[in-house]
Amino acid sequence: MSFRSFLLSSPIFLFAFLFQEGFVTQLRLPAGGINLLLIVALIWSALSTPDVGALTGFGAGIAMDLSETSPGPMGHWTLVLIIACYAIAFVGFGDDNIRSNPINIALLTTIGVVASQILFLLLGLMLGQQVGSAGNILFLLAGSAFWTGIISPLLLKVIALLHAAVFGTRSRL
Amino acid sequence: MRYGGDNRGRLLIIVLVVTSLFLITLDLRGVQVINGIRTGTHTALTPVQKAGSWFVSPFRNFLSDATHLGRTRNQIEKLKAENDKLRLTLQNRKVADAQLIQLKGVLNLAGKAGYKVVNAKVISQGSSTSFSQTITIDAGTSSGIHTNMTVLSGFGLVGVVKYAYSSSSLVQLASDPAFRIGARIAGTQQIGILSGQGTRKGVLQLLDNSTTIHKGDALLARGSDNGRPFVPGVPIGEVIAVDNSPGAVTQTAEVKFYSNFSTLGVVAVVVSGESADPRDSLVPAKPHPTPIPTVTIYATPGAVSPSPTATK
Repeated sequence: MSFRSFLLSSPIFLFAFLFQEGFVTQLRLPAGGINLLLIVALIWSALSTPDVGALTGFGAGIAMDLSETSPGPMGHWTLVLIIACYAIAFVGFGDDNIRSNPINIALLTTIGVVASQILFLLLGLMLGQQVGSAGNILFLLAGSAFWTGIISPLLLKVIALLHAAVFGTRSRL
Repeated sequence: MRYGGDNRGRLLIIVLVVTSLFLITLDLRGVQVINGIRTGTHTALTPVQKAGSWFVSPFRNFLSDATHLGRTRNQIEKLKAENDKLRLTLQNRKVADAQLIQLKGVLNLAGKAGYKVVNAKVISQGSSTSFSQTITIDAGTSSGIHTNMTVLSGFGLVGVVKYAYSSSSLVQLASDPAFRIGARIAGTQQIGILSGQGTRKGVLQLLDNSTTIHKGDALLARGSDNGRPFVPGVPIGEVIAVDNSPGAVTQTAEVKFYSNFSTLGVVAVVVSGESADPRDSLVPAKPHPTPIPTVTIYATPGAVSPSPTATK
């Protein structure tokens, strides 16, 4: 892993963060909408080594904590995304059955988004946050899975190309 | 080959996790640097959000129209008859009219209670993926808005200012699961605590179990010291269901908020409330039912045709 390569990827995440905060939140999509930065970070990690995955989770987590819609303390999303991105990279790393199949990556990303949100919720409960009714939580989780399932296959090709440009052509789908 | 991890990799994970835990600890202890970074980010993001709001509004209007297609079918059929230019003008006019109606409503409410308000446009609605309910408005400390100020719509309470930046503010909606407000029932003056549930419905917990609560009762804010975070007398919502479980320690009721949080366009922030409590004067009037004419047909045996008679 080259630290320079990791730094080269930061404009991609900055763009995803600005697009999420400036445009996606304006659409007021039903069922919780899309979290673009979370999806991009998880797809990027699924294509990377576990070390890069953890660093990606750290960077994306800091950005999500800086979002004004984040209710938790600074570091809340960071911790969740370090774990989630490392885990998704660990699952896919070295297994060509997973990494070479776009459907598997899209599925892994969808599971990763839902798992990240559940982890965020559990950590929030441990930190004393209010999370609302169980029905609303289930509705939002189902909504997240639905939107991620739609968006991730569309983003996958673009992110794979960018990932290949930053880290080399070996990880190209 | 499976990744087994090396010492450098393990060390990296440990460093990152410890850093995030360190950040959580610093933030929970209220370290100013963390708040400064967040404030700086929000200030920098406000122009992007304003540009996004302008750019996205046609798509948002389209999505809104698609969602309410069944209800606006007649209106769409009428619009089909008009030319493209007129249709575009009408669309723009509709948006302006809706905002004007909301503005009139909120100014009427604030004027009736004697609140001094600052009006603001909703420029962003927070993503629910973090299980919180927030909106961002285009007015901040430069307009006299500070944290813990009451936010109103034309129908009643919207929420409270959570963070105020120079030219924007983050408003925690009354539907947020972490939202709590002291409420009283108009008329009977029973008091309780209303909490958000993540939807348009909240749960009221009465403090005195011996009193009774009825479906249709109106709820008003009790108010706080110096009117912050809540000015007294703001309409909150209406009781739609009462839980009368015999074994319950306290009586609870389900409340529907007067404000519809998904259609907020213009809101008002109460920057100073009148010293006198408006009491129950802001309770919205009950709708009056309109009589529906019925048609009675008298049929006489042997007659040629029955004649309908309209009665009320």
